[in-house]
Amino acid sequence: MKAGPGALRPLLPTALAVVAVLAAIALPVFGSSYLIDVGTLVLVYVMLGLGLNIVVGFAGLLDLGYAAFFAIGAYTTAYFMVNSHMSFWLTLPIAACFTAVSGVIIGAPTLRMRSDYLAIVTLGFGEIVRIAATNFAFTGGPEGIYDMPHATIGSLVLRTPAALYFLGIAFALVVLVGSYNLSRSRLGRAWLAIREDEAAAQAAGIHPVYFKLLAYVLGAIFAGAAGSFFAVKLTAINPSSFTFIQSVTILMVIILGGRGSLPGVIVGAAVIVVLPEVLRAFDQIRMLTFGIGLIVMMLLRPQGLWPSRYGRIEAREVALSEAEAAAGVAAGASAADSAAPGGSS
Amino acid sequence: MRNRFAIGLLLVFLMSVMVPGAGAQAGTIKIGVPVPLSGGTAKMGTDIVQAATMAADEQNAKGGVLGRKLEIVSFDDACDAQQAVTAAHKLVDAGVAAVAGGYCSSAAIPASAVYHDAGVAFVADASSNPKLTDQGFENVFRVIGRDDQQGPYAAGFMTKDLHAKKVAIIHDNTLYAKGLATATQDALKKMMGVQVVFFDAITPGEKDFSAALTKVKSLKPDVTYFTGYYPEGGLICKQFKDLGVSGKLMAGDANNDPTFIKECGAASTGVYVTSTPLPQDQATAKSFISRYTGRWKQDPGPYSALEYDSVGVVINAIQRAKSADRAAIIKALHATNAYSGATGKITFDQKGDRKQVLYITYLIKGDKFVPTGM
Amino acid sequence: MEIALQQLVNGLTVGAFYALIALGYTMVYGIIRLINFAHGDVYAVGAFLGLSTYGLLAILHVDNPILTTLLALVVSMGFTGLLGTLLYRVAYRPLLHARLSILISAIGGSLTLEYGLLLIYSPSFLVYPHLFGRSGPAFAGVTVSWLQVLIFVSSIVLMAALYLMVNRTKTGMAMRALAINQDAARLMGIDVNRVISFTFFLGSALASFAGVLTGLYYSQVSFLMGFLIGLKAFTAAVLGGVGNIPGAVVGGFVLGILESLAAGYYSSRWKDVVAFAVLIIVLVVRPRGLLGERVVERM
Repeated sequence: MKAGPGALRPLLPTALAVVAVLAAIALPVFGSSYLIDVGTLVLVYVMLGLGLNIVVGFAGLLDLGYAAFFAIGAYTTAYFMVNSHMSFWLTLPIAACFTAVSGVIIGAPTLRMRSDYLAIVTLGFGEIVRIAATNFAFTGGPEGIYDMPHATIGSLVLRTPAALYFLGIAFALVVLVGSYNLSRSRLGRAWLAIREDEAAAQAAGIHPVYFKLLAYVLGAIFAGAAGSFFAVKLTAINPSSFTFIQSVTILMVIILGGRGSLPGVIVGAAVIVVLPEVLRAFDQIRMLTFGIGLIVMMLLRPQGLWPSRYGRIEAREVALSEAEAAAGVAAGASAADSAAPGGSS
Repeated sequence: MRNRFAIGLLLVFLMSVMVPGAGAQAGTIKIGVPVPLSGGTAKMGTDIVQAATMAADEQNAKGGVLGRKLEIVSFDDACDAQQAVTAAHKLVDAGVAAVAGGYCSSAAIPASAVYHDAGVAFVADASSNPKLTDQGFENVFRVIGRDDQQGPYAAGFMTKDLHAKKVAIIHDNTLYAKGLATATQDALKKMMGVQVVFFDAITPGEKDFSAALTKVKSLKPDVTYFTGYYPEGGLICKQFKDLGVSGKLMAGDANNDPTFIKECGAASTGVYVTSTPLPQDQATAKSFISRYTGRWKQDPGPYSALEYDSVGVVINAIQRAKSADRAAIIKALHATNAYSGATGKITFDQKGDRKQVLYITYLIKGDKFVPTGM
Repeated sequence: MEIALQQLVNGLTVGAFYALIALGYTMVYGIIRLINFAHGDVYAVGAFLGLSTYGLLAILHVDNPILTTLLALVVSMGFTGLLGTLLYRVAYRPLLHARLSILISAIGGSLTLEYGLLLIYSPSFLVYPHLFGRSGPAFAGVTVSWLQVLIFVSSIVLMAALYLMVNRTKTGMAMRALAINQDAARLMGIDVNRVISFTFFLGSALASFAGVLTGLYYSQVSFLMGFLIGLKAFTAAVLGGVGNIPGAVVGGFVLGILESLAAGYYSSRWKDVVAFAVLIIVLVVRPRGLLGERVVERM
C-alpha cells in the first residue's frame, strides 16, 4: 500500500459519484420508459433504505416490520387524495404525522427490549398493519385504493415515467440531505455511541431510550415519505406491496450496501432492484440465482458493498491496538482473539 | 481496493440494463404476455405462456399475420402490483403491438394503467375482478367472465338447485376471491329467506383451516361456498369432510383444477364447482386440447384455453385492422364480433367485457368434474 | 362445549407442527444468535424428500403404509439433517461474527432452497399419498383422526427426547456451554464447529419430521410451504422464550391454540393479528418470553 493506490482511493468514490449523478440525469433523456421505471423504483428503495438506515445503521436496532411505515405513508396519501380530493403535497405532512405517531406507538413500549426481541415485535407490527389494511373497509380491503389522481405542480400533471422519476429524485435528495445532516449531527454521534456500546453511552450521559425512539420516529417518517411517493407513482396501491418480504427487501438494501453508510444504501438499492431485473433473462431460475447471489455477496463482502467510514475507522483502530498489544505482549494471540474486529457485534 | 469491487459490480449491473432489448427481431409482430412465473402461482403462468406460444406458432405456420411472424414476449409479474408495473413498462418498451395475458387481478389492475397510457390493447385472459374493466379504459378487454356475473349465478344455483336457506361464504382476502365472495353475498341478500351465516377469510399459504371450519360447522349451513384458489380449496374440501360439517361444499372457478381432487382425495366426491365450461366440455375446444396435449405433453391448465383465445382475438383484430398499429388494434378489438375461439364465441361489450359468458356447475364424481346444471 | 374441545384439538395439531419447527429456530438462535430464515424452507425440503421416498418405494413395490412411512421419515430426516449442516458450513460459518450479514445470507439460503425445489420438483402443488384414513377415536362429538394422535404423540416423544439429550448427554452439555459463552467453551476444549453442525442437523431433522407429517396430514406440499409456517414457528419460539427448548414447545402449542380460538370465536381474518398482538403484549409484560430465555446477552 504505497502512494499509488493510496492516493487514488479518495478519487474513486468521487469519480463514481460523478458518473452516478450523470447517469441519473441522463436516464430520463436516453432511457426507455422501462428503464426510467426501474430507476424510479431504485429511488423508492433509496428513500426506504435511508430511512431504515437510521434505525438499523445508525441506532443499531433490528427492524423486521419496516414496510408497515411504508404502508401507512402510502395509504394516508392514497386515502386523502381519493376521498378528500386533497392535493398530493397536502397529504405529505399528514402522512408524516401518522407515521411519526405510529413510530411512537410501536417504539415507546418496546424499545427497552433487547434488539432481537424488538425485531420480532416489529415483525408482528408489520403483519398487523398489512392484515388490518386487508380487512378494513376504509383501506379498500384486498383491492386497496385505486384510481388515484396524479400529483400536480400548478397545471403540470406528473404522470409520465420521466416526470415521476424527477419527482422521485427530488424526494430522494431531500431524504439524502436529511440523512447526511443527521449522520454528522450530535444526534448521529449519539446513535453511533449507543450502537457501539449502550452502557458506555449511558454512562456518558446519553439517554438511550430517548435517542432510540427518535431514530425510530425519524425512520418512520422517511418511510412514510417513500410510501406517499410510491402511492402517487403507482396510482393504485394494495396490501400485497407491504408484506414481510418487503420489509426484508428493505433490510437487504442496507446490509448489502453496508449499514450506516449513505453511498452504501444507494448502491444497495440499485443492486436490489436492478439485479432481479437483469436476471429476468434467466426466467425460471431468476430467484434461485438471486438467492445464491445474496449468499455469495455476503461471503465475499460481509461488511457490505460500500461500508460505512465509521466502521472502517473502528476496524483500523482495533487493528492498531491489536498491533500494539502484539508488540507489547509476547503471547499476543490471545489478546488479538478477544479484540478481533466485529467479534462483539 | 474494497471500493473497486463495488464499483465493478455496479458498472456490470448498469451496463447489462442499458443494453437495449436483446434478441429483438425486426419485422415480427410482438404480443406481450405478463404472467406470474415466480411465487405460488408460477404454475398458472407457465400454462398461460405455453398456450400463447402455441397460438402464435400455429399462426406462424399458416404464414403469420400480414406477412409478418408473430412473437410472444413474456415477463414475470409475480402477481405483485409493483413488479407488474415494471413488467408492463418493459413490454411497452419491447414494442409489443398488444398485450394478452395476466393472471392475478391485483397485478392486472395497476398494470392496465401503464398499457392505457401507452395506448396498448390489453386482453386479460384470467383476471375476473370487475374493477379491471370498470376503470373505463378503452384499451382493456377480457375473455373471462366477471366475478359479479359468477356471484349471482352461484347464488342462484345454491338457492334453486340446492335449496339452500343458510349459506356460509369463505374467501381468502385476495382481490379475486373477495370480489366473488362479495358478489355472491350481495346476490343472496336480495333473495327472500336466505341467510348468509358466515362470511370470513382464510389466509392463503396456510394449511390448516379447521378452526374456521369448526365455526362453520357450529352454524349448520346448507351450503358452504369457497371462492379462493384451488391450493387452499383442496385442503378445505378435505378438512370440511374430516370435521363432518353439514351441508354441501361449493367452490368457485379457481378450483376446477385436477389438483383440487387429488388433494382432497375420496372426500371430493359430491363437491360442486361453479365455473365457465372447461375446455373438455366444449365442442369448440376438443381440437385445442389434443393439440395442446400433443405439443406440451401435459393437460391444459384451467386458463390455457382462455389465453389461447386472448391471443387469437388479438390476431383476428390485427387481420381485420390490416395493421399492427396499437390504436388500430384497439379499434378492431372493439369491433370483435362472434370470434369463434376454443372457449366459444367472443364478442366484447362497451366496457370490454365478454358478452354472454356461460357458467355451469360441476359435480365432482370419482376423479372427474361432471357438468350438472346450467 | 364440543365446539370448544374441537377447537382445542385443532389448535394442538397446528401447535405440534409449530413446536417441531420452533425447536430448530430456538436451538440455532440459542447457540449462534441467528434467526435462521431458511429453516422454514428446510422443513419444506424435508416434506419433498419424504415424497420422493414414497415415490421410490412405490416403484419398488413396498406398500405397507407403516413401513413406507417409517422409511420416508428416516430417509428424509437423515438427508434434511445433512442439508442443514451443509447450509451452516457454506452460508453461515464464515459469517458467524457478522450478525446482520449472516441474516442476509440466511435469506439467500431461503430463496435458494425455495426455488431449488421449484426447479427440481414443480412450480405447482404436489400431492402426498393418502395413506391413513379419516377414522379415529370420536368422543363427545369431537373429531380426532389417528393421524392427529400420531402427530401429537410422536412430536411430544421427540421433544422429550431432545430435552433429555440436551440436559443429560455430553453433547447436550456442550451445546448449552456454547449458548452461554462460545469463547469459554472453545477454551474448555469443545469442538465448537462440530457442535454447531450437530445442532443444525438436529433442528433440520426435526423440521423434516414435521414436513413429512404435514404432507401426510394435509396431503399437499409446495415449494413455498415453509415460508408462512416458518414465520409462525419463529414467533412461537420467541413467545416461549428463545433458546429455551420447553419454551419452544409451549410457545408452539400456545400459538396454535390461540389462533384456533381467535378463528373460532372471533374471525379467521383477524387471527394473525390476535396472535401477533398477544406476542407483543407478552413481550412487553414478560420481555424474556413465557418460560424465560436461555441466552446470554452478547451485544
